[in-house]
Amino acid sequence: MSDETDADHDDQAKSDPDRTAETEDDVLFRLFKIPFTRRRIAVLLAGVVALLLVPELQHLHADLRVRTVYLGLCWGMAALGLNLLLRHTELVSFGHAAYFGGGAYGAALAAQYAGVQEAILLILAGIIAGTTLAVLIGWLVAGYLDIYFALLTLAFNQLLFAIVMGSSEILGSDDGLGVRPEAADLTRPTLFGLELTSAQYEVLTYYLVIGVLLVLLVVTWRLVNSPFGRALDAIGQDRTRARFIGIPVKRYVWITFVISGIYGGIAGALYALSMLHVRPGNTLFVIRSGEILFMAILGGFKTLLGPIVGGIALTYMLTELRFTTEFWEFYTGLLLLFVVFLMPKGIIGSLPAIVEGARYRARNPGMLSEDADSLGGLIREKLNDAVESTKVLLFGVK
Amino acid sequence: MLEQSLLTPLFVDTIVDALPSWTLFVRQTLNGLFFGFILFMIATGLTIIFGVLGILNLAHGEFYALGAFLVFSVAGLLLGFVGPPTDWLSIAVFAVVALVAVLVAAAVLLPVSAVLETIFVRPIYDREEVYQLLLTYALLLMMVDVLLFFWGGQPRRLATVFSGINQIPTTELVGISYPSYNIFAILIGLLVFGFLIWFFERTKTGRIVRATAINREAATAMGVSSDRVFTLVFAMGGFFAGFAGALHGAGPISADVGMGIRPLVLSFVVIVVGGLGSIKGAFVGAILIGLASRWTIMIYPPAELAAPYAIMVLVLLLRPEGLYGTWGEIE
Repeated sequence: MSDETDADHDDQAKSDPDRTAETEDDVLFRLFKIPFTRRRIAVLLAGVVALLLVPELQHLHADLRVRTVYLGLCWGMAALGLNLLLRHTELVSFGHAAYFGGGAYGAALAAQYAGVQEAILLILAGIIAGTTLAVLIGWLVAGYLDIYFALLTLAFNQLLFAIVMGSSEILGSDDGLGVRPEAADLTRPTLFGLELTSAQYEVLTYYLVIGVLLVLLVVTWRLVNSPFGRALDAIGQDRTRARFIGIPVKRYVWITFVISGIYGGIAGALYALSMLHVRPGNTLFVIRSGEILFMAILGGFKTLLGPIVGGIALTYMLTELRFTTEFWEFYTGLLLLFVVFLMPKGIIGSLPAIVEGARYRARNPGMLSEDADSLGGLIREKLNDAVESTKVLLFGVK
Repeated sequence: MLEQSLLTPLFVDTIVDALPSWTLFVRQTLNGLFFGFILFMIATGLTIIFGVLGILNLAHGEFYALGAFLVFSVAGLLLGFVGPPTDWLSIAVFAVVALVAVLVAAAVLLPVSAVLETIFVRPIYDREEVYQLLLTYALLLMMVDVLLFFWGGQPRRLATVFSGINQIPTTELVGISYPSYNIFAILIGLLVFGFLIWFFERTKTGRIVRATAINREAATAMGVSSDRVFTLVFAMGGFFAGFAGALHGAGPISADVGMGIRPLVLSFVVIVVGGLGSIKGAFVGAILIGLASRWTIMIYPPAELAAPYAIMVLVLLLRPEGLYGTWGEIE
């Protein structure tokens, strides 16, 4: 289901042989107005089946945990929302944890103070909280650009974090809030009115997340390919020009901001349903905002599925790697470096190029030794550069 | 490691209960100035790196942390030769050795950040800025574990310098008891500010850096190697962040692995309040943030965390270019 929408202005897409292949003949059927080709169906089915198999397969390997994939999907959803801004309006939000955390806290507050026990209603509470925040903050930031937009969203994010940290009575400060009604004798929320055991709850909420994710992907696809989505692309390319052709730039950016905040709110509420306890450091802190942004970039922010893949990948690195090695942050950083330098369009975005390269090398095995040579040469050159610069810096030019 | 110390207070203050309100006010003001000067030294590097290279260096807080750990080791080594101070002369020797230790710790940051810049940052100047963010984030994560590898997960406290320097009476002369170390740190911070202004206004290298910031192509045409200027600026930023870390780590706080995050985020606040790329702005912003956060602790403690961000939001909404705009014409 790689996304062909921006082939018009994305030069890279034109040179990509897989993208030009699609014509009207390849479309087998349309669902929700999305043309499904054989490739798309295959990718979609493979993805959904792989996700659905996780609860069955988790007994096979200790590192495969439903909880982690679940959280990865939640963060990925937030990254999907952020990607609406990043990909189309070209605005870098460094404060999306505000809506994720807002959603999580919305659910927790509804459970704590309104006595809501039903998971679906908790999600609704999270959406309301996330939307309210996005409406307010979006209205204030919609007119800003580039680094100012990034830093302003960051400031609001941290302001929210500071407010939660400072309010020990209502919002629980650093200790956070439980997502379970105090009065009722429940250990976890009910799902569609059913009281579930821990194992049932975990699997059913996981299926719920997959369902929500599919809905959000369809919504995103429709949104991106609508006239509204095109208008956002125009805004991203040149605001002045967009204004000249009659696009109400600020209002459109605001609307997009709110939509992406809603994604964050949904994701945050789902997160709260799984964790059953929300803490500001885990949901609202600015580093979480950075992670949401990096998930989108890691997966490939020029693609539809990239943020989801990036979400699962980065969540795995940040939560599971620490059980394998003490220096998990180092290896996470190393993997990110690897992506920055060798997969310049993110995991999903670089996939076609990598497949093409691998095919080429399968035909010409001699290429491999050339690759090794050029890589060795590159590293040697870099080290020389570094030594030279340091010498110049410390001792001046001789 | 990052998670643990996110929320621990960054600045451990002296105990301030049951004091007359005037003394309390003076103390918190001095705390705010000390806090502000440390922040200034971190933020100034961030702001010149952003101004010249156009990169928001997320690994900058780790330079500060590295400085704090280095001074722990370097001062521990050097002060072993001197021994604890007893009389006037030995206090003077002790102070000089401590200052040398701080400088040595910061100097290590020069080659470290220069190498990081040439190997990792230089290849991506032409890439989209989100990749630059991702790269510096990767460097942040890796540096955290480098610190963990060399110094371990336990906080490292260098108490000898702080208590040694505090034997020099300063504020006691006017009747207030306040750590002399912090007073000296404030004075050193002023010197750093003066040096930076002098460097960028008066020296040839400083002017070359500013010229590169204003127009890279024109500077290149004049024979300036922009690669070298970029390395120099990155290394300078690393040096001052390390200097701040060393000065802070030799003083009232202990060094721990996750200590780089909060100064980093507060430095964002500082450079935004002051104006991106402006050193004077970073100075005013840092002092403002320092004082505001210490004063709110005095008036209404729960608002301490929120105060800097509230200021940042106000400045961005009312005067987006910051208090001072920019000294180079940096877009």
